[in-house]
Amino acid sequence: MSEASEEATQAVREHRDELRPGERIRAALQSRAAMVVAIAIVLMLLFILAWVQGVGIERIASLTAWGIMLGGIIALGAIGLTLIYGVVKFPNFSHGAMVTLGAYIAFAVVSAMPGQSAGLGPFSFGWDLVLGLLVAMPLVGLVALALDRVVYRRLRRQHSPLVLFAMASLAMAFFLRSMIYLIWGSDFHFYYMGRPNPALHLPLGIRVQADQVFILGLAVVLVIATYLLLERTRMGKAMRATANNPELAQIRGINTERVIAWTWIMSGALAAAGGVMYGLMSQLRPEMGFFLLLPMFAAVIMGTIGNPRGALVGAMIVGIAQQLSSAFINPAYGPAVAFVLLVIALLLRPQGLFAR
Amino acid sequence: MNALTLAKSGLLFIPLLILTCSVIRIRWGLRLPIAAAIALVLALVLPALLERGDLGYLVSFACMASIYAILALGLNCQWGYTGHLNFGIAGMFAVGAFTTALFTTSAPTGVMAQYTQQAFGLEAPFLVGILAAAVVAGIVAFLIAVPVLRLRMDFLAIATLGIAEIIRRIFQNERWLANGPQPLRGVPQPMHCAVEEPACAWMPQWLAQFLAPLAQRDYNLVFLVIVALFLMATYLLLERALRSPWGRVLRGARDEEEATSMSGKNVPWIRIQSFVVGGIVMGIAGGLYAHYVITIDYSHFRPLFATFLVWVMLMLGGSGNNRGAVLGAFIIWGVWSGTAFLTAFLEPVLAAISSELPQRSAYLRWLFVALLLAGIVLFRPQGILREETIVSRHLLDRAPARGRRRLRARGEGTESAHESERAEPRTP
Amino acid sequence: MPLLTVDAITCGYGDMEVLSEVSATVDQSEIVSVIGPNGAGKSTLMKAVFGLLRPWQGSITFHGREISQLEPYDIVKQGMCYVPQVDNVFTELTVDENLEMGAYTLPERDVAERRDLVFELFPRLKERRGQDAGKMSGGERQMVAMGSALMLNPSLILLDEPSAGLSPKMVDVIFERIVRVNEAGIAILMVEQNARESLRLAHRGYVLANGENRVDGTGEALLNDPEVGRLYLGG
Repeated sequence: MSEASEEATQAVREHRDELRPGERIRAALQSRAAMVVAIAIVLMLLFILAWVQGVGIERIASLTAWGIMLGGIIALGAIGLTLIYGVVKFPNFSHGAMVTLGAYIAFAVVSAMPGQSAGLGPFSFGWDLVLGLLVAMPLVGLVALALDRVVYRRLRRQHSPLVLFAMASLAMAFFLRSMIYLIWGSDFHFYYMGRPNPALHLPLGIRVQADQVFILGLAVVLVIATYLLLERTRMGKAMRATANNPELAQIRGINTERVIAWTWIMSGALAAAGGVMYGLMSQLRPEMGFFLLLPMFAAVIMGTIGNPRGALVGAMIVGIAQQLSSAFINPAYGPAVAFVLLVIALLLRPQGLFAR
Repeated sequence: MNALTLAKSGLLFIPLLILTCSVIRIRWGLRLPIAAAIALVLALVLPALLERGDLGYLVSFACMASIYAILALGLNCQWGYTGHLNFGIAGMFAVGAFTTALFTTSAPTGVMAQYTQQAFGLEAPFLVGILAAAVVAGIVAFLIAVPVLRLRMDFLAIATLGIAEIIRRIFQNERWLANGPQPLRGVPQPMHCAVEEPACAWMPQWLAQFLAPLAQRDYNLVFLVIVALFLMATYLLLERALRSPWGRVLRGARDEEEATSMSGKNVPWIRIQSFVVGGIVMGIAGGLYAHYVITIDYSHFRPLFATFLVWVMLMLGGSGNNRGAVLGAFIIWGVWSGTAFLTAFLEPVLAAISSELPQRSAYLRWLFVALLLAGIVLFRPQGILREETIVSRHLLDRAPARGRRRLRARGEGTESAHESERAEPRTP
Repeated sequence: MPLLTVDAITCGYGDMEVLSEVSATVDQSEIVSVIGPNGAGKSTLMKAVFGLLRPWQGSITFHGREISQLEPYDIVKQGMCYVPQVDNVFTELTVDENLEMGAYTLPERDVAERRDLVFELFPRLKERRGQDAGKMSGGERQMVAMGSALMLNPSLILLDEPSAGLSPKMVDVIFERIVRVNEAGIAILMVEQNARESLRLAHRGYVLANGENRVDGTGEALLNDPEVGRLYLGG
């Protein structure tokens, strides 16, 4: 919403009884309840459309389960994105590239290991991938920090308008993508070639892979960890404070540059985790992060920018919607579904479901 | 000087004249003859001096740069004059290109129908195809604008990026529409008959005689004339629009939204209009692109190419400034083409680093352009040419230099000098 | 030596000059009030002192050190805190968290102690410590803002229109708190629209108009000055 209409909405909320019916309807439409209803309607619609296409209930249940799993992958990327978006206030278009970078760094680690390690337990990946993950996360965090130091911090010092930050992040997105293409080429890669990936059998005939459950678990763990960081630690509270009111944070003596630096590191590390898991579930290609970009933005905006739990919820919604839609439209249009959700969120309630 | 060279000079004269007219900034009375003289000299000298291959390269360069210049003009209408952060240029470009292609190609029949599909093929003439591209792009721009333009700038950028992605996917996946993901071939080349034997039916005898020495491979010269005329027309129309009451309201809506709407202007509607006009221009550029490359497919419209490159062009040239848009387009296309030579030159170095690097050298060019954009954003965000304060076409050329207070340029495109120091060219 | 000395500073925004060779001093433990008509440059003076604006000319000394070129978070470390007029609390943080952020540079164990001291001064805040600051009334927010400024035990607090937007009853409460804070030894430099009230509290006052010093003197003297009364105190 434009600033003028945001203020108007606020005024409307405060004087609810004195409103004309038209304004009351608009205020009601922009409420959290309305957005929940709208999302529910969209999901219902997708269920119905899938049903009408003759897709059985079992398959619908499977799709929903896979949607939740896909939501896990999107969530990993979305947490990092929502954190940085909240603090620096511009959409980081290079976040997708950082996801990709994380995946490829882990790939480099895995490739460098002699032989292929056996799968851990029911999972298809071995210690080498875990090592790759542990290496990729801090590395991408450092890359994110470096980009901030070189580019965004200078723009902050010059008090540049938002458009320049967005433009710079677009440039960084292409920079990172070019580097990935140059180092690893445009071929597809896999972490593990031809390794069977046994499925777990759940009721209702749903089959999910153990890997997918792990990814979902990891996403939940990271969301909880991020939430605890933001609510319980001083740095986390400083992040929330800086996101809420950067000028006041400076006035209170908070070193906002330090806060921003830590936020970039976290954002990059979480993006890398998302990339590694995404690469595990599908394949490594240089455009992989870009495919996730729209779903991640949709999740972040629906869940309120800056709110990691919201990002998880948003990611679940997007994941389920995308998977359900694949029952009756070409799966390549998955991001289109995410986009529709994004537009609904932006038109109804841009501050998201979890805005206080 | 043989007949072939003369024919080439004749064709080159037109775009060169357009170029010299726009570069030489003096009164029209003097400008036209001087520009014509310089253009004539250049037109005669260039084909004589340059190798056929080199001349051909230069002409191809100018064709693509001009197409991009039209794209940049369209973006300038949206960004420079209204402040819409449109990251979805690729979408309008694609819509224009595919619409033209569909209108001007012929529907596949018989055996061909098994290999390629398209929704329709009307074999329409060139101008109809371009007109169709403009109309369809305008409609799509309108449909996008209505829900999306009211969003805050960063949300608008995300939304337009998403839309361009979806448009590209549609062209990628819908076989019935435009043969996606396979390429759509056979887009006819306008006025190709000029280099054919026999010449165009509608041409007067003397013209056909004059152009007779040209061969098929000289066609690009003809196309350059067409594209240059389109560029000139677009530029002039946009400049005219800017100096009109419509243009003033547009800038009012960008800079002082509340005051403008309190004057009774319907600000949201005006902003939609400018977005649509920009979209139409982009669609036309797409149509010309389709005619130039003859074969199009979805991969031509990845955000890499259209969106990113055009933004670099506009940022470098100077947003808010139509001449800046054109200048930026030529410079950046030059840089892009130049990096091809650079990477070819660097090939031994690349091969020394790694054996696979030379074949990935295209991405080195992208790296370079990405760094260039970062540099522009950091060091010269206002671009080369500043935004000029243009109030009305009725204002005299030489405004007396009144005392002015230069406001420091903040960011780009939003600040303007009170008066430009040079005399403003009077538009015809 | 005065705690704070503002020595003939000239500054403004962009090209526009707002303050013209303005001077003022604040001594230890005193309340100094700056009044004047709208647009006189009172807020600008505050911002210049706190480092949110760089003065073009002149100097500002605090505890004997030149601070006019320092960043706000360095000035905070010197012992000066600032309470802006608007957006002066973190609306999405609780009262507790707001206070904690006020003491960001303190080691964690000292924070609880300081917080208890602030709660003594503002018992209403203690009742509402878990509440989001954004959901509180204007007066309560002002208390949170002032409490946050107190967390670091500064020697000088800058208050920018503390009574703005408050009901008359709340204004009295706030002013009473200001006096109590001052009694604890903290100097206060206060910009106020509510000129009469603020001069009553103040030990000294400055009258600014058009970006320049007009009159200055003790609070009482200014209150009783008929010129000042006619021009700036509404008769």
